[in-house]
Amino acid sequence: MTVEGRPLEDEELIERAQRGEVMPYEELVRRYQDVAVRTAYVISPDGDAEDAAQEAFVKAYAALGRFRTGSPFRPWLLRIVANEARNRRRSAGRRAGLALRVAEDRRPDDAAPSPESAVLASERRAILLAALNGLRDDDREVISARYFLELSEGETAEALGIPRGTVKSRLSRALERLRVQLGSNEPGGIHV
Amino acid sequence: MPPAGLEADLLELGRSLAWAAPAPEFASRVTQRIVSRPVTQPWWRGRSVVFGRPVRRAVLIAVALLLVLAAVAGAVGLGLPGLRIIFGVPAGASPAPSASQAIPGASASGGPGATLGLGQLVALDQIDGAAGFHVVRPTDPAIGPPETAWIDTARANQVSLAWSPRPNLPPTLDPGVGLLLTQFDGRLDNGFFSKAIGSGTTVEPVHVNGTSAYWVSGQPHFYFYTARNGQFVDDDRRWVGDALLWSDGTYTYRLETSLGRDAAIRIAESVR
Repeated sequence: MTVEGRPLEDEELIERAQRGEVMPYEELVRRYQDVAVRTAYVISPDGDAEDAAQEAFVKAYAALGRFRTGSPFRPWLLRIVANEARNRRRSAGRRAGLALRVAEDRRPDDAAPSPESAVLASERRAILLAALNGLRDDDREVISARYFLELSEGETAEALGIPRGTVKSRLSRALERLRVQLGSNEPGGIHV
Repeated sequence: MPPAGLEADLLELGRSLAWAAPAPEFASRVTQRIVSRPVTQPWWRGRSVVFGRPVRRAVLIAVALLLVLAAVAGAVGLGLPGLRIIFGVPAGASPAPSASQAIPGASASGGPGATLGLGQLVALDQIDGAAGFHVVRPTDPAIGPPETAWIDTARANQVSLAWSPRPNLPPTLDPGVGLLLTQFDGRLDNGFFSKAIGSGTTVEPVHVNGTSAYWVSGQPHFYFYTARNGQFVDDDRRWVGDALLWSDGTYTYRLETSLGRDAAIRIAESVR
């Protein structure tokens, strides 16, 4: 959305949305829909990530009055998305896992793969994924936030609703458990 | 320092996952969900003047929802506090101006707007008194005075002024109308539309004398609103053309024309 050709900042869109305007909020949705759907997906892979993300956006709109002006919108939104996805995971009564699938085709922007991706064969990715899915939810969430969603430590803390210091310690322990899991899945693991 | 070992593998794995991309209409579906839940904050926050006491507000909300549900399947809507625009043809409504909507005794030869169900014909010099408020008119001499004035008491004294087609006012979808200016005592609150959702209607945010306005074009649309007296107005009259919607904070105006957006804004900015 632009006004006289100028793209609006998040803060301006949020202020208008707080006044009850819907279309500025739709623009915010467009900006963050990808990461929102991904967040819902990594937390509840078995569920309908798109529906969970949409519901989270609706709840976020209703909660805009409590949004702290000037703070970043993305982690605030992702916390609502994460809560929504967790609730759905709990309601489903099953543990999400093994639903993350390794892409068969490279993404268009991966036309020039990095050296790392070139050597990371699909079999090795499958091993890593299986090990990750073997972790408990807390571990998988913090790893997913940092490495799959590529959130900063601060964003991860807000999105997952934990103190920043806890992100570090939880991530450290999660990686350690992942290494153990990899060791048990395949002697030698991948890169430990 | 770039991540190495397991961290690098995880980053790579994340980029190789089969992420599901949101559907193209993802954002508009969110908007649709929002407007279909009128009880949530901040949707109705601060609308006490319009909606009155909570109990009454709940009744009105229920009525609003029923109206939405009554709309034809596939119609989608956008809501504004005090005003909701529904895109699509209202259920049961004729796709064209209906003779049954005309006032008794009116005919196509009864002047511009006679077949649109705009209410009762009132002499131009008496329209202010009939409406109970000052009815504005374009001051552009090229437009001149309206040929007919109508008041719809069933719609909270909604007033419509109509002009016949002429070289500088090409016919609208109603060949007998070149310009239609409707005015009602109801609010068009802050709303900011760039496009309609899921339909061929677009709503473009524009400005009239520096205040927010909306240029609505494309597919048929109708709307309903709560008038200042609390009356819930279901305005399912078929619009005769693309429309400019704006408000001065007290009254809301709708100008329908085939002249296009910029000309409509010029006319709107000249009303006094």
